[in-house]
Amino acid sequence: MKKLTPAVGGAGGEAASEGTSRREFLQVGGGAAAGAALMLGTSGAASVAFGKSEAGAAAEPKATVTKPSGSPPREPVTAYVRNAQRGEVTVMSGKHETTYHDPALAKRLIDAAGGTIK
Amino acid sequence: MSSHREAPEVSKDPVADNTDTYAFVSPDNPTTVTIITNYLPAEVPAGGPTFFEFGDDVLYSIYIDNDRDGRADIVYEFCFESEITNPNTFLYNTGPIGSLGDPNWSKRQSYTVSRIGRKHAMVLAKGLACPPCNIGPRSTPSYAKLEKEAVHSLPGGQKVFAGQRNDPFFVDIGSIFDLGDLRPIQNLHLIPTEATAGVDTLQTLNCHSIALQIPIGQLTANGSAPNEVTNPNAVLGIWGSASRRKVKIRHDGKDDQSAAGPWVQVSRLGSPLFNEVLIPMSRKDEWNAREPSEDEDFLPYVQHPELAKLLPLLYPKQFPNLEGLTAPREDLVAIFLTGLPAGVVPGFQNVSKKGVLAEMLRLNVAVAPASSPNPLGFLGGDLAGYPNGRRVTDDVTNISLRAVAGATFPLVHKGYKPDAAVSAVEQGITPLATRTQATFPYVTTPHDGFDFPSVTK
Repeated sequence: MKKLTPAVGGAGGEAASEGTSRREFLQVGGGAAAGAALMLGTSGAASVAFGKSEAGAAAEPKATVTKPSGSPPREPVTAYVRNAQRGEVTVMSGKHETTYHDPALAKRLIDAAGGTIK
Repeated sequence: MSSHREAPEVSKDPVADNTDTYAFVSPDNPTTVTIITNYLPAEVPAGGPTFFEFGDDVLYSIYIDNDRDGRADIVYEFCFESEITNPNTFLYNTGPIGSLGDPNWSKRQSYTVSRIGRKHAMVLAKGLACPPCNIGPRSTPSYAKLEKEAVHSLPGGQKVFAGQRNDPFFVDIGSIFDLGDLRPIQNLHLIPTEATAGVDTLQTLNCHSIALQIPIGQLTANGSAPNEVTNPNAVLGIWGSASRRKVKIRHDGKDDQSAAGPWVQVSRLGSPLFNEVLIPMSRKDEWNAREPSEDEDFLPYVQHPELAKLLPLLYPKQFPNLEGLTAPREDLVAIFLTGLPAGVVPGFQNVSKKGVLAEMLRLNVAVAPASSPNPLGFLGGDLAGYPNGRRVTDDVTNISLRAVAGATFPLVHKGYKPDAAVSAVEQGITPLATRTQATFPYVTTPHDGFDFPSVTK
């Protein structure tokens, strides 16, 4: 099966990317049209953003319940906690998927879900 | 069969179920190769009110390996988009559909086809119209005109068609999955009944086909059109697939949906019957998600196929030699996973690089089309047929059953003598000549729901 490999642009091996097989590289080239450059750019930008999030998590306000403001976008940025104990969060942006080691983000998501990391 | 509803998960997802893949040198245009991938198994012609169509949320792909390493070098991708042109009707059409632009047609589909190579990706064409489904004499009175309009010639010399067809695959599903019964020899079965002719289960059923005809030089590694069978560049590995986005988000109370994440392959098909017959049920969906280059993991199922063990049990005393055959089936490994090296079948080879174990249709494009194709392909002495690619008229069920029964084992073990019963192994179907057509897209007019209101007709 596919194995996790360090993402280009990831911070200190904390990010890992799936979908680096030759087939998926080819698919990204055509299906996403924008190609590998966009894929890598997205990964790098997300990595930086999450780096900030982890460092400043304690200072940020808690999540509050709100009413959705409308339909989700056609290509929403989607994240899920892959492994709460290890602080792994997988983020999907467009057709790219990256797994980050971000315990603070994992905890915020678990907290928002009403649970705790065990 | 050959890969219709073959795996537990994909059987619940028909628009993404790749049922058959065909690849052959076009008999009426031998400087090209035609590749056909079929989806949506067992469409009942009377499919209203919501007639069948491709999935707008499915990525359909055709892969080409042209350097014999079991990995894709070229991908053709097909993305569909449906449009409701009349939002105020419950009808698929509000009058006869006389053309692909007819305003009477309420819900239609078009597609984009792209080619992705190792260095370049390009959209070959956008907005290509699919034909409507064949509904009946009042709605689609001139279907031949519509399907002709739906054959698109592209600037690069390719032809493409995507839409409903009569499923060309002929097989007696009802008997084969009743404990391996073959009607012509069912008098010899463990639970015997009188021998009869086979039944072409899919004769009156439709599917959706993607057909692509491509100049050979656009497929080979060096851009040539080899005419020497021994030329490694003449061998193409070919397979189809369907993929879905990893996440789908349904909008509350609305038809619209969002998607996120990479494409995840949910179905693939190269050689017919490979996943269907050789891979155990518990791993079929896993196999569907793999790439051919990952097939080494499935080698034991090819070396020791379950069906070869069942045949002597199901047909007592008919297969004593097969029953005693315990050696790995290197003949089947060659047919399905490595290709046939030169010297095994005189005048032929379609072998991958040493060490490659990848299930693909392997087509040697240097073999000219046969003037009188034999549906038994290699077993009938016709090197232009299966397992050199696959034509729409090839009887791959008979070929595969006989191969598993031992017919091809002497290719790798000269001393082995196939059982006499092997030549009697057959499903007993002679498909109607109207099941296919002689020109592109070779898959033919789908049955309409008015004239074929029931599959029992």
